[in-house]
Amino acid sequence: MLRHIATTSLGVRLRCSAAAGGSGLHRMYHERVVDHYDNPRNVGSFDKNDPNVGTGLVGAPACGDVMKLQIRVDEESGKIVDACFKTFGCGSAIASSSVATEWVKGKPMEEVLTIKNTEIAKHLSLPPVKLHCSMLAEDAIKAAVKDYEAKRSKPSATPLEAKAADA
Amino acid sequence: MWMKKLHHSTRISAIVSRAFNSLDLTSSVSISTLHDSAIFSSPLSSLSLSRLRRRSAPTLLLSNLTSILSRENAIFFVKDESPFSSLSESSAKLYCWNCATEADDATPFLFCQACRSVQQVNQSIDYFQIFGLGRKYSIEDGELEKKYKDWQKILHPDLVHSKTQREREYAAEQSARVIDAYRTLADPLSRAIYIMKLEGMPVDEEERITGPELLAEIMELREAVDEAEDAQTLNQIQAELQEKLRNWSKSFEDAYLRKNFEDGLASIRRMTYYKRANEEIVKKL
Repeated sequence: MLRHIATTSLGVRLRCSAAAGGSGLHRMYHERVVDHYDNPRNVGSFDKNDPNVGTGLVGAPACGDVMKLQIRVDEESGKIVDACFKTFGCGSAIASSSVATEWVKGKPMEEVLTIKNTEIAKHLSLPPVKLHCSMLAEDAIKAAVKDYEAKRSKPSATPLEAKAADA
Repeated sequence: MWMKKLHHSTRISAIVSRAFNSLDLTSSVSISTLHDSAIFSSPLSSLSLSRLRRRSAPTLLLSNLTSILSRENAIFFVKDESPFSSLSESSAKLYCWNCATEADDATPFLFCQACRSVQQVNQSIDYFQIFGLGRKYSIEDGELEKKYKDWQKILHPDLVHSKTQREREYAAEQSARVIDAYRTLADPLSRAIYIMKLEGMPVDEEERITGPELLAEIMELREAVDEAEDAQTLNQIQAELQEKLRNWSKSFEDAYLRKNFEDGLASIRRMTYYKRANEEIVKKL
């Protein structure tokens, strides 16, 4: 499954350019992007019905990209204890969401809301044309937090329904 | 299209002199002349220039008319152009750089009917015009291919070896543009995107959306493609996809006919997502 994510559009071409490394060809992906692509971390899914999970689902329709970022929050401390992502799109989008999951882990929710796309873009040396991929990752973080907050404020109907069905 | 009527009807010089006599000028009028800057660099430039000068003195170039000519009050707003600036090509008359024949409006001016020389690329001729089609979304099969081949017989660089360096360059650019036009119009999605661009509502390359229904559907679709193990599953997904693409293509056409550009853009978004998923399937197969 993990390997499968890694064998999308970039696949072979990316390996070749990674091998060529710092030969001065500026149109290649930065090595950090390649790293996130070859060694994907935090790819996966949490149960979106889990009350401690917030799911952020965002997309960039012009590129056909779709990005899902999920956080698992510890109720008492308000800290994000785990995060995972699933992104279908270009290498920059995949890398941006991967970085996002890494950066939110262990942080309180208020703090992750301050993560800016420019930081992600800088970390990955994204070219201007790919800046909106980092924006997408920032959007995804915010959407995940928002989803968690919405779940928290709204008392869940499911347990009550289950009780009523049992009775 | 009153501009066309104007050119084809009474000689402009006659109208202008009549109008001037009875004119109540409330704004300044200046006479400007048409110049294709290419004319000046051609070997025939002096000849064509003198011909132009004689013709253009009484010839008015009308860039912005606010009312049709009438004897009582014809108000001309004309751009005051220096001889060497280029005018907006949509209002300008086009002339062949080689023989200075005026372009006729029947065929798109990619080459000159009189001397058969290839013309410089004119960006204001849009892709639909190149193929002699109106600006509509649905295109009959085969409409494009025939015209495309006809154009390439005239414009293709391989067929202009005997012509001048300049004309060969024009041919290279023109034929590249025709190829672009053909590719853009041949694919329904790129055709839709191009139409939106022509209508002044271009697709935003950097748009981000959060609509849960559409995104959840696409997420599921992409996951299904990703997890599919065998060709049969993939083919099945692909068949469903093609169906969806057809439906949304139809939906774009409806939206465009109703001039509902928002719906048109929504259709384009969906088609883009489906197209990407289809590309992934093709890669896997």
